[in-house]
Amino acid sequence: MKSALFKVTGMTLLMTALGGVLLAVPVGPEIDGATAGNALMLLGGAVLLIRGRKR
Amino acid sequence: MVTDSVQASSLSPAAISSPASQQHPLRRIAGLAVLFAAEVLVISARTPHIALQDSPGLPGLVFSLGTWKVRLLVTLAVISLLVWRSRAKRNLEAISERPVRAGVAWVWFTAHVAAILLFAGLTSILFQNRLHGAAADALVLAWVAIGVAAVVLAAFAFLPAAFWREVLRGTGEVWAYVLILGLGACVLAAYATPIWNPLARWTLRLAWLLLRPLVPGVSADPVSMILGTHGFSVQVLPACSGYEGIGLILAFTTGWLWFFRREWRFPRALLLIPLGVAAIWVFNAVRVAGLVLIGVAGAPGVAIQGFHSHAGWIAFNVVALGTCVAARRISWFTTVGADTALVPGRSEPNPIAPYLMPFLALLAAAMLAGAASNGFEWLYAFRVLAAGAALWYFRDTYRAMDWRVGWPAVALGGLVFLIWIGLEPLAGSAPTGEPPALVHVSALARMAWIAFRILGAVITVPIAEELAFRGFLMRRLISADFESVSWRMFAWAPFLISSLGFGLLHGGRWLAGTLAGMIYAWAMLRRGRIGEAVAAHALTNALLAIYVLVSGHWQLW
Repeated sequence: MKSALFKVTGMTLLMTALGGVLLAVPVGPEIDGATAGNALMLLGGAVLLIRGRKR
Repeated sequence: MVTDSVQASSLSPAAISSPASQQHPLRRIAGLAVLFAAEVLVISARTPHIALQDSPGLPGLVFSLGTWKVRLLVTLAVISLLVWRSRAKRNLEAISERPVRAGVAWVWFTAHVAAILLFAGLTSILFQNRLHGAAADALVLAWVAIGVAAVVLAAFAFLPAAFWREVLRGTGEVWAYVLILGLGACVLAAYATPIWNPLARWTLRLAWLLLRPLVPGVSADPVSMILGTHGFSVQVLPACSGYEGIGLILAFTTGWLWFFRREWRFPRALLLIPLGVAAIWVFNAVRVAGLVLIGVAGAPGVAIQGFHSHAGWIAFNVVALGTCVAARRISWFTTVGADTALVPGRSEPNPIAPYLMPFLALLAAAMLAGAASNGFEWLYAFRVLAAGAALWYFRDTYRAMDWRVGWPAVALGGLVFLIWIGLEPLAGSAPTGEPPALVHVSALARMAWIAFRILGAVITVPIAEELAFRGFLMRRLISADFESVSWRMFAWAPFLISSLGFGLLHGGRWLAGTLAGMIYAWAMLRRGRIGEAVAAHALTNALLAIYVLVSGHWQLW
């Protein structure tokens, strides 16, 4: 039961995540690909940096 | 210190010692990827996609599906993450370690060539003639079928059917999840559209409330959605309502909670999602207010051409990283104890920081300089200073690395320059002369800008990028304990992924960037020296700088 609940929560989270991304990338002319790429790469690197900290 | 200990390899001993008649599957997949990339580039370079705009029937659908390319990429990324985090990863690893027959199956390959030629011919007919009716629909169906057939035939030419059967069997349930997730997310995205308009009105209202104490006479019209004064005003379109930021934050925070789920206290950690959403929406209203404020203050060029496109991404990064840091530092959210790294005296050095900080400083400075630009990045020097400061801060770590340089690095740097220039026609950027903004300033300001541009291209950019992509990413993909991975350690997947990442950093020049990444990686791997990769990269950029200044092809900068 707990495992099933965990899976449902996980799937809901992933669907929310994917829905979020699809909302966010309508690929309109207002989105500058280079700026978006730089921002996402910056975020990815910063996350790696945060995760790389030894606690 | 240069460590030579080989800790991990994505190549199994079985694969390395396989007979000449057999080959590692990843090498075959790399060959397949190169073939597809080349074919797509050649065909798409000759295809006027815009010709199908507003066409009725299936041709029109083909055009509108073009706007889903990024969504498809995102779905593929989610597939990769699911595979990475499931049993399928182990299955795929086992499959990839079994050598397959070497060489191409020529019968399948010949059939692929015939199919791709037919596909190119149909592409030309479809995109260069504005067809309509049943014939056009039949042509689109044939075009799709031949395209799929060409992909399948190439797949069988490079790897046997038994290999693909094993891959499908090993990843079976993942495809079902992906299908459900993909369809669910598309429905969610489609039905979310009606919330954009009210969201835009609330954004307009909040931005107006923020501006009212600062800008006399500012008005907000909820019918025309225009916000501003008589001197400067903007229209808050549904796309400016903040839903893009909300979508990104939803994706980021849920992904963050899911992938590190063992670290959070549920359900309270779920609060981070609405908190992040609320924060990004407020930040978006502040961005709209800031846009008007900058325009009213007398810099409409900066407001429209710089701040408008950059501020949203800066806000997203601030909120996303703020959520990460808050989640790790507040013990109410986390099960593993609050992050003590920021507490003086209690933190340990972060081994990743010397490799990533200069590159991240470069990117952050580029975003800030872009936000303050009016179409021309006057503050380029900021990038040089930010990366330079990070490099100076970690100078003791860099002293322990091997910075020696041999002549082959020089030759490789020159080779990349030739490749870069040779592939420029594929980048799709029209030749431009010297930017007008630079032509119309004093000689001193012009020289100073060019000097910093060269300094960045030849010194800070090569060091920062090589540390990040070759020094860190390529070795990190081999082992989580990247510091123990030898600088000479080679594995196909990390080599290709890090090079592709480097290529994507260069936007439209992704193919030239990927090849450059491969060559710089090879420069480093030859003797296990980061200095070789940096020298090759620096020479390429120096030659490009000379080429730009002499030939006037400023689009390369």
